[in-house]
Amino acid sequence: MHEFPIYHWNGLNIDVSAFIAITVSAVMTFVLVKLLTRKLSVANPSKTQNFMEWAVDFVHSTIASTMPLNRVRPFLGLGLTLILFIFVSNLLGLPFGIVTEIHEPMWGVTADTLAHHGGHAELAWWKSPTADLSVTSGLALIVFLLVHFLGVKMNAKHYFQHYFKPYPIFFPLNIIETIAKPVTLALRLFANIFAGEVLIATILMLGAIGTPFMIIWQGFSIFVGAIQAFLFTILTMVYISQAAIHDEDGAH
Amino acid sequence: MAWHWESFVYAIVAFLILYWLLNKYAFGPLFGIMEQRRQMVLEQMNAAENSRKEASAEMEAQKQALAQARQEANDIIEKARITSSKQADSIIDTARSEASRLKEDAVRDIESEKNKAIASLRSEVGSMSVAIASKIVEKQIDEKSQEQIVDNYLKEVGSK
Repeated sequence: MHEFPIYHWNGLNIDVSAFIAITVSAVMTFVLVKLLTRKLSVANPSKTQNFMEWAVDFVHSTIASTMPLNRVRPFLGLGLTLILFIFVSNLLGLPFGIVTEIHEPMWGVTADTLAHHGGHAELAWWKSPTADLSVTSGLALIVFLLVHFLGVKMNAKHYFQHYFKPYPIFFPLNIIETIAKPVTLALRLFANIFAGEVLIATILMLGAIGTPFMIIWQGFSIFVGAIQAFLFTILTMVYISQAAIHDEDGAH
Repeated sequence: MAWHWESFVYAIVAFLILYWLLNKYAFGPLFGIMEQRRQMVLEQMNAAENSRKEASAEMEAQKQALAQARQEANDIIEKARITSSKQADSIIDTARSEASRLKEDAVRDIESEKNKAIASLRSEVGSMSVAIASKIVEKQIDEKSQEQIVDNYLKEVGSK
């Protein structure tokens, strides 16, 4: 398996490939959306504007499936940013990889590791940011903090009560659930995308024979990337809805 | 595969910046446009509803005007019919009374003519009978009997 280059700077261990991937993903997402929303028009929308409006409507209905319709609006921007950023991130590592080979300890590769791999190591410079647990756990932490902040701010009484539902004895279980939510959120996204990239690297080892597999797997990875982006977004909204939106009709 | 807190923090910061930038420069305007369109569609629907109402009210008014005009036309025709039949009746009445008057005049004329004729015939007969009588009297009366007749007349006159 590839090693990832580490750049030591002022005592920080900077994972260069992750930093590149995050930056590229974020910039690409912004540029893409900015290009698609050029020349906005009320009466005569362009094709790209229509596409973006379709995306907005899609995310809107997705969020609306988890909470009352009149509460959707504040989370629309978040949902859109999440789904677009994660989707772009998931696809980023698919088309190509940049791998360099080193024979000396550098970029954070220790002499031990080198010796373990027989005197040389391969450094991967290009990957999906979501194939890095640091990134997905960062996203999950944002969601975690947001969910509990909104829960306390908008719905304090029911938010604290729900830890003792249905009986006070369930408190430990509820705590485990609360922690498990962001952990699974991070791990699910990371594992899906990381596994996809591992399999791509494995298929690459097959050489020319692997081409049909590569085509199939690339296609499937795009599908998985879309599904995972959608899942992350809708689960975020479900968690927000559970914690922060208390339906007065007693729906949940 | 190691977990690096630097990547973790960078991911969070990058995502938050992306969220802020997108909201400010892309989603904000896009949502604004979509909201404007929603308003526009709403307004147009309201306007369409209003014009539909106006049109139907106009239609109703037109219908009423038409019905009124028809009613008036019927009234006028009815009135004309009544007037004409009245006139016809009066003309016939006048003609009838004229005719009967003429007839009566004619009958009266005939009557008076007849009476005149009868009267003239009567006087003719009288004078003729006097003439005949005087001719007869001239032939038969002598001096003596004439005196007797005169005396008789005188007596008669004197007794009266």
